[in-house]
Amino acid sequence: MILLQLLWSFTKIGFTSFGGLSMIPVISNEMQVNHWMTAEEVSDIVAIAEMTPGPVGLNCATFAGMRTAGLPGAIVSNLGVLMPTLTICAVVAIFFQRFRNSPVMRRVMVGVRPACVGMVAGVTVSLSETSYILNDSISLPGIGIGILSLVLLLKFKVSIPKVIGLSALLGLICFGIF
Amino acid sequence: MERWKTIGRLLLDFMEFGLFTFGGGWSIVAQMQKRYVEEKKILTQEELLDLTSVGRSLPGTMITNVAMLFGYRIAGFWGGVVCVVGMIVPPMAVLSLITLFYYAVRHNPWVMAAMTGVRCAVVPIIGSTLVGMVKGAFRWQPCIAVLAVSFCLYLFWNVNCVWLVVIGAVSGLAISKYMEGKGAETP
Repeated sequence: MILLQLLWSFTKIGFTSFGGLSMIPVISNEMQVNHWMTAEEVSDIVAIAEMTPGPVGLNCATFAGMRTAGLPGAIVSNLGVLMPTLTICAVVAIFFQRFRNSPVMRRVMVGVRPACVGMVAGVTVSLSETSYILNDSISLPGIGIGILSLVLLLKFKVSIPKVIGLSALLGLICFGIF
Repeated sequence: MERWKTIGRLLLDFMEFGLFTFGGGWSIVAQMQKRYVEEKKILTQEELLDLTSVGRSLPGTMITNVAMLFGYRIAGFWGGVVCVVGMIVPPMAVLSLITLFYYAVRHNPWVMAAMTGVRCAVVPIIGSTLVGMVKGAFRWQPCIAVLAVSFCLYLFWNVNCVWLVVIGAVSGLAISKYMEGKGAETP
């Protein structure tokens, strides 16, 4: 029963959100109505979800599912969040594949591509604010790690997992020891 | 047989991506760019942008949508499903562990320090994809204006990404009509 409730709750969350942080108010509400998490736990899990790999919505699903019904709970909750991907997106994939070379689609994409680059640029800037400003002051070691990573990625073509591992180590040294 | 080999390869690739998507998922785009655009050359910059913008504007989680679109493209429906599953299993495993040790991890200064370090690398990871993306995004000069408008709307007014894609689509049609009117060939 609890598994069905989890599935239904997270299916609702999946369909009413468009990725990223827009999910949080919906998740917060759904968790508290069902008494699966307190408000404080929701904000904790958002913080943890942002630090661990994977998107916030799926991480909240795993957390709420694990706490209420163990691993099966985590699996059905994840499945709930994935519903839109497995239905709407799968259908769109078929049509997109078929029409992506049509003249109309190609014209549409002339504008969508730069809009998407603008979005990624916006994301980069807004993430910088939260990553490099700690306790209201600019974090110099943070910026150092950032510049080093950029050079490793662009100049030396170091792989992303290696860059992440190295920055975790440097974070441990800069923010943990000093 | 060949198809199942491809599907197995996709599963492994996406499990690796899943393990290293920090920062809300946008780094998936960086990982796909490195693996599929630069190394294997089975995807162009333009196509990656197309998958990203379509995936971002559908309901649900962006990275699983992108995984679905890409997997479908390479190996049909099951290819899509495999990419999605590969993508979510590692984060689920990591978070299940964390949940078990929740109270030990929550305010642990060492974990916090390491993760603060990782966050500092996420910005350059996502930022580094911009260099390649810019090359794929500008068919004609007016496209630069679309980029600038979408950047400002996102950053200063928090406009939802769905609207940005809609605005992009309309301007794409308008720009193409204008340029074709001036004698440019159909994109």
